[in-house]
Formats: sequence, structure tokens, C-alpha cells
Amino acid sequence: MQALGFILRRVALLAVVLLAVSVLTFAIVNVLPGDVATAVLGDMATPEQVTAVRAALGLDQPLAERYLRWLWAALQGDFGRSLQHGQAIAPMLSGRLGNSAILGLITLGIAAPLAVALGVVAALKPGGWLDKVIGAIAVGAYALPEYVIGLLFILAFSIWLPLLPGSSLMDPNENPFSRPEALVLPIAVLITGMLAFISQITRASMIQVMGSAYVRTAILKGVPRWRVVMKHALPNLLPPTIAEIGMYFGYVIGGLVVVETLFSYSGLGQMVTNAVSYRDVPVIQAVVLLVAAAYGIGNLIADVAALLMNPRLRS
Amino acid sequence: MSATTLPARRAPIRLRVGFGEAAGFLLVGAMLLLMAMGEWIAPHSATAFNPMHTLEAPSFSFPFGTDEFGRDVFSRVLAGARPTLLLAISAAALGVVLGTVTGLTAGYRPGAVDETIMRVMDALMSFPGLILAMLVVVMLGPAAINVVTAIALVFWPRSARLVRAVVVDLAQREFIEAARSRGETSRFILFRELLPNVLPIIVVDFSLRVTSGILLAASLAYLGIGVTPPTPAWGLMVRDGQQFIEIAPWLVVWPCLAIALASIGTVLLGERLRHKLALPGGGRAR
Repeated sequence: MQALGFILRRVALLAVVLLAVSVLTFAIVNVLPGDVATAVLGDMATPEQVTAVRAALGLDQPLAERYLRWLWAALQGDFGRSLQHGQAIAPMLSGRLGNSAILGLITLGIAAPLAVALGVVAALKPGGWLDKVIGAIAVGAYALPEYVIGLLFILAFSIWLPLLPGSSLMDPNENPFSRPEALVLPIAVLITGMLAFISQITRASMIQVMGSAYVRTAILKGVPRWRVVMKHALPNLLPPTIAEIGMYFGYVIGGLVVVETLFSYSGLGQMVTNAVSYRDVPVIQAVVLLVAAAYGIGNLIADVAALLMNPRLRS
Repeated sequence: MSATTLPARRAPIRLRVGFGEAAGFLLVGAMLLLMAMGEWIAPHSATAFNPMHTLEAPSFSFPFGTDEFGRDVFSRVLAGARPTLLLAISAAALGVVLGTVTGLTAGYRPGAVDETIMRVMDALMSFPGLILAMLVVVMLGPAAINVVTAIALVFWPRSARLVRAVVVDLAQREFIEAARSRGETSRFILFRELLPNVLPIIVVDFSLRVTSGILLAASLAYLGIGVTPPTPAWGLMVRDGQQFIEIAPWLVVWPCLAIALASIGTVLLGERLRHKLALPGGGRAR
């Protein structure tokens, strides 16, 4: 019952957050200098042309009214038309959203358990050589931008050792699973980026848990070490770690943008970087809104999962 | 020698920390030096075309090779320190200063002021960092100052939240009570009483922000946002060099290495700073 209330409150909060995000996105796009009309016409446009385009796009109407109209349309799945391609944005989004989701979810599915495992292993003997190796890899993975890791992987596994394609170029509506080998390097890069943070967080909380009284009691009682780790320490550790992973979604999304651009993978990230170079404002607005929504929902799922794993709140 | 009296088991750990610290200092020092005078140390121009020497492999006269316009990659990497690191440091400073002022105010004024400020911060934080920075730079236009603004905007709510959390706790303490009953102004209490107490946290936060600033600035440049050619920003060099990766890998390898060394240096130094100031973890910097 308690859990249900928490979930409902969390969903309501998400709605408020998404509303705030839509206001902020709209504000950034419409209040900052450089509006859509100049983006359409370029810098050489005469003031008369700008006025005409502003009228045609409805930009001369009051801000609040435009916001409500934009939000209402967006809620119905209408994000307007792309300035660059002239076609409706919504159909362009669907295939790419799926592609990005595939990349992101596979990464999470592999990286999260792997990182937790690495963190646990490192924490078993703090200061041991395994801990040092994992720590060094974590610092490296943390300190390098995704494209640096990606280019290293491309050099190593697609140029020096021609094993995997260095580009995942494809049609936006193509099924990415039709060429699974093209997914390997992008996912490997994203996993490497994620390992750093989660493994170090897990390590820190694991060391703390292993030092706690109940774990010492279990060890002194003669419970085998692996059992102490798996049955006593880990269940206590997972809920906060999962909540932390939820906080980390934002970085995964940033990583997706870079990795999709690096590998020419047809996802939302590549779409937004393309839109940026053409100043295709409606597309940018739509993708940012969608990405922020995905981020909020991801956070929500992580919080709920953490809650469901916490026996004190589950009943 | 006092070292012989140390317990033998501690020695390797001390050595490791010492190495990281030394490497961090060395890397950050070298990077700051490059930032200040990389352009003058560079043996060739970072921007002048040289059609006689396009895409040459590393040699004695061009130690890092040349790019498709015959520009010396070594000189470009040296000159590229400023457009990358100066952006990161300025953005980190601006973001942390904004966050400190906001966090102090919100933490010291519970109720409506705190609520309003923190909900705005929450809204800013509900964008993934890179996405928010992208959106802001695109709307403001490509210029270094806009990149600084955008990255600072990403850091602002995160720093504010950190400072606020500490101040909320500090504001309950006796010394604040005492200052208030002495009749000190809010400004005095905020900047003379509270600020010195959060300073260590701010310093560590700043060092983490510099690292993430380097990563964000380099990623934006790589995506072609904010800096325009022929600026030798490292991220932009990687972006432009990527198409030649099979025939001229030196075009991407050297700027990538520069980014890596700069951010690893700041990570090591920041880590050390955190230990020195004895703060709990919380390395969520990116």
C-alpha cells in the first residue's frame, strides 16, 4: 500500500517535471536571441522577409498562446515540420526512437550488472591488485569522452584488426538487428563509459556494507564468504545502487548522442546533431522534449525498481 | 630515516597515492602552461594552410604529422589547449559561483525562497547535461562565450544543490544563531559566516566541474557545436580528422591523447584534493 502511494506520487511528480521541461525547452528556443524565422531565412534576410515568415509561422502571436498551442499539438504527437526536410517530424522520430532505445537498453542490460559485479569484486579486497586494476580502468573510462574511446575501438577492432564495421550507417527504418555486428562497437563504447561510475559507487557502498556489524557477524558465524556477499550484503546494496543508476541515465543519453554521431547510427542522437548543424529548430525542440521525457521515465523506473527491491517498503 | 619505522604494509599505498598526485600536478601544470602560451611554443602556425605538405605522416619537422590542409598537427594540438581548457575552466568557475550564491541563499532561507529556487534548479536538472548545453549553444549561436554560458548552466543546479544541502545543516548551528542575535545582516551571515564553511566543498566541486567541463566542451566541439573552424579546439580536430582515420590516424590520435591527458590530470588532482580536504565521495561530476 505504502509502495503504491509512493509510485503514484512519483508519477505525479514526473508529470510536473515534464511540464517544467516543456516550458523550459520552449523558453530557451523562443526567448533566447536567434529565432526560427532567422533560422529559415539565414543572416542575409531583410526585415520585411523576417516579418513575413514570422507571421506565416505564427511567431507574431503572444508567447503563452504559442506555448499552449505547441504543447497541445505535441501531446497529440504533432511536432510540426522540419525546416530542413519540409516533412512532418513525428514520423521521422518513431524509427529513430526505437533504434536509440535498442542501443540504450542493451547497454544498460549488460553494463549495469557487469559494473555492479566489478564493484563487488573490487570491494572484496580493497587495495588489492584487482581493485587497483578495476580502479585504473574506471578512472580512464571516466576521464575519456565517448568518442575518444570509440575512435580507439575503431582503430583497434576495425582498422588494425578488421573484425568489426567501424560505421553503423543505415536507413532509419532498417532493423538494427539485421546487422548485429554493426551494434557491437557502439554498445561496447557505451558500456565502457558506464562501467566507470557504477562500479566505483558499488565498490564504495560494498566496502561500507562489508564493514557493518551484521556482515561481520555472518562472517564470524562461519557463513561462506560468497554467501555473505550474495545473500547478506548484495540485497542491501542493490536498491541505492539502482537509484544511482537511474540518476546516471542522463549521461547515457549524452553518450548516445555522441556515439550515434560517431558511428553514423540512425538514432535520435544523430538526428539532433544533424538538426543542429542546419539549425532545424522544430526538430531540436521535439528531440529534446522526447529525450527529457525518456530521462524522466527512466529515473522513475529506477526509483520504482529500487523500491520494489527494498523489503522494508515492499509489504 | 623515518620511512623505515612505517608499517611495511602501508608503503605501497602511499607510493600509489604519491604517484597519482605527482602525475596529476604534472599534467595539470603542463596543461595550464599550454593554455597560457601554447600558441607561442608551437613551431608552426596552427591555422595557415601549407599545400606542399598535406596528410604527411609524423616526421622530424612535423612530429605529429600534418592534416589535409598541410597544417602541423603538433602546433594545432599545442594551440588547441586554450580553446578547450579555458572554456572548461571558465564554465566551471561560472557554474560553481552561480551555484554557490544560489545554494547559500536557498539553504539559508527555508520556505518560499528555497522552494522557488530549488524547483527551478530541478527543472534545469531534468535535462541530460549535454542536451541542455547543445540546445543553449544552438539558440545563442556559435561563440566561445555561449559555450561557457551553456556549460555553466548545466553545472549551476548541480552545484547549487550540493551547497544548499550543506548550508541547510549549517544554518541550524549555534554560530549562525549567535551572528543573528548580534544583529548581523543576511549578507554578512551568508558570505562571512556560511561561505568559509562551505569553501572546501566548493573547491572540490570546482575541480570535478573542470573535468566534466573539459569532457562537455570537447564533446560539443566534436559534435560541431559552438566552435567553428579553423579554431584548433581538440574536439573539432577529432571531428575533422575522423574521415581520414584509415590513412592518417595521427589526425585523431594526438588530439584524443591531449583530451585524455587533460581530463585524467584533473581527475587525479581532484581526487587528491578530495582526500586532503577529507570529504566523503560523490564523484558524480559528468
